[in-house]
Amino acid sequence: MSEIVFKAVTKTFRLPKGGDFLAIDTTDLRIEEKEFVAIVGPSGCGKTTLMRMAAGLEFPSTGTVEVGGKTVRGPGPERAVVFQQFALMPWKTVRENIGFGLMCKGTPKAEADAAIARYVELMGLAGHEDSFPHQLSGGMQQRVAIARAYVMQPAALLMDEPFGALDAQTRIVMQEELVRLARRNPRTVIFITHAVDEAIYLADRVVVMGRKPGRIIETIDIRPLREEGGWEAMPIEEVMDQPAFTHMRSRIWKLLKAREQEKPAA
Amino acid sequence: MVGVATVASALALWWLATSGLRLLNPLRLPAPHEVWTALRQIMGSGYAGATLWEHALHSLGLVARGFLVAVVTGVPLGLLMGWSRRAEALINPIFLLLRPIPALAWIPLAIVWFGLGDTGKVFVIWLTAFVPSVINSFTGVRNVDTVLIAAARTQGASTAQVLRHVVIPGSMPMIFTGLRLSLQASWTTLVAAELVGAFFGLGRVLNIAGQDIFPGMILVGMAAVAICGAGSTWLLGRLERRVLNWRAAV
Ligand SMILES: Nc1ncnc2c1ncn2[C@@H]1O[C@H](COP(=O)(O)OP(=O)(O)OP(=O)(O)O)[C@@H](O)[C@H]1O
Ligand SMILES: [Mg+2]
Repeated sequence: MSEIVFKAVTKTFRLPKGGDFLAIDTTDLRIEEKEFVAIVGPSGCGKTTLMRMAAGLEFPSTGTVEVGGKTVRGPGPERAVVFQQFALMPWKTVRENIGFGLMCKGTPKAEADAAIARYVELMGLAGHEDSFPHQLSGGMQQRVAIARAYVMQPAALLMDEPFGALDAQTRIVMQEELVRLARRNPRTVIFITHAVDEAIYLADRVVVMGRKPGRIIETIDIRPLREEGGWEAMPIEEVMDQPAFTHMRSRIWKLLKAREQEKPAA
Repeated sequence: MVGVATVASALALWWLATSGLRLLNPLRLPAPHEVWTALRQIMGSGYAGATLWEHALHSLGLVARGFLVAVVTGVPLGLLMGWSRRAEALINPIFLLLRPIPALAWIPLAIVWFGLGDTGKVFVIWLTAFVPSVINSFTGVRNVDTVLIAAARTQGASTAQVLRHVVIPGSMPMIFTGLRLSLQASWTTLVAAELVGAFFGLGRVLNIAGQDIFPGMILVGMAAVAICGAGSTWLLGRLERRVLNWRAAV
């Protein structure tokens, strides 16, 4: 069981200069087992903070975060995280970075090697297994970070703008790949993105956040659109041309924009 | 090429100033041939109780021992203080108390405690080299990117695994900075300690040559110290490049 439940969560940060900063105002969110939820929102609205609480790297100031019915007390390999800053170990090769979690778990070498090889192939990293991160482009580093999360076969995937550093073409390939993976092997996913397109294409539900203070403005179910439009059978560029898709996109954009005008950034 | 030319002109100038034009008193700065004579003497029959090799090996051995003991004790202590706030709170006061004392000021005490033999010198070298090893390892740990530690923990790494695979490799560049400083300080302290009193060693050669007013031999001693120091620094640099092979070339 790996549903992720935020119950009346708030998060305040103590500022170094003194005083408190309310990063997340009272938030309730339930992500069902094997559900794919995308979070969109302006920079600084608390997307990463929300994800870090699910990962067990940050704890709510009030309220609780539960995964699989248990309060999150710390990180664990069953909740893999793709960090916004990649977070690859510069002193480990691509192979060692991808295999680190398996090594920690004590997976037998042959089995680990096979799993690593599979994701190296899938992520288009073949030939770079023995490179160090600084020898890779930003997009390639990001793919290593994604492979490292997938290879753990986690019950929950927490991805913080995982495609942010990819070029448009690679991004599309990765998006389609993610959909394929998600369908073949569904798991609970929190997927943070700035790209509204991407959110609608990938997610079962899109959570729209606003800032000052960070909170959820609206949660939109995409599944009816996908099923009615038969999106699953279409290539991504065709999906993005569907009237239902473009409608949804402008609806979410309006939500984001309205909030920004209502409370302009200080 | 420019370097070679510079050294050649300096040598030519040296010869001109001493032998060629006799501008300088040979008791102040010896002529090249006097240094050569001194070198042959210490390499052959020996000087101050031993040959140049024996003196140099003796000094190298002392530096190696003092430096290695400092690394083996200082780096783990620095890592511990960097990792654990409690260890830092416990150890730092002692450290702050001892740190302002220049290592050379320990030499008399070391002689009282251990005599003029090797132990006292290893002790003083250890003290000198210890401080930069601790401080830089400490700073290294504190500078490790916290996202990397978080990432390792989300992948199921235990504390020991975080230390071994993230914190220690992440501190390595700073640790090596500390080791370089430690090594340089070790040589300075060695020479000072041997000057004060020793039975063997390059510092002893310098000391006796000074008493004998033997400028050629003083220069031989200085050059030998320089070569040993540069050689050990070079070796450390090679080790550093090997260990930190993951870094982007700068
Ligand atoms: N450790 C911290 N200490 C103080 N303030 C913090 C801390 N972490 C985050 N914040 C603040 O909380 C707010 C939300 O940050 P967060 O990183 O979650 O935003 P985000 O939505 O992920 O933004 P972006 O899209 O730019 O990544 C920001 O205003 C940020 O300054
Ligand atoms: Mg963020």
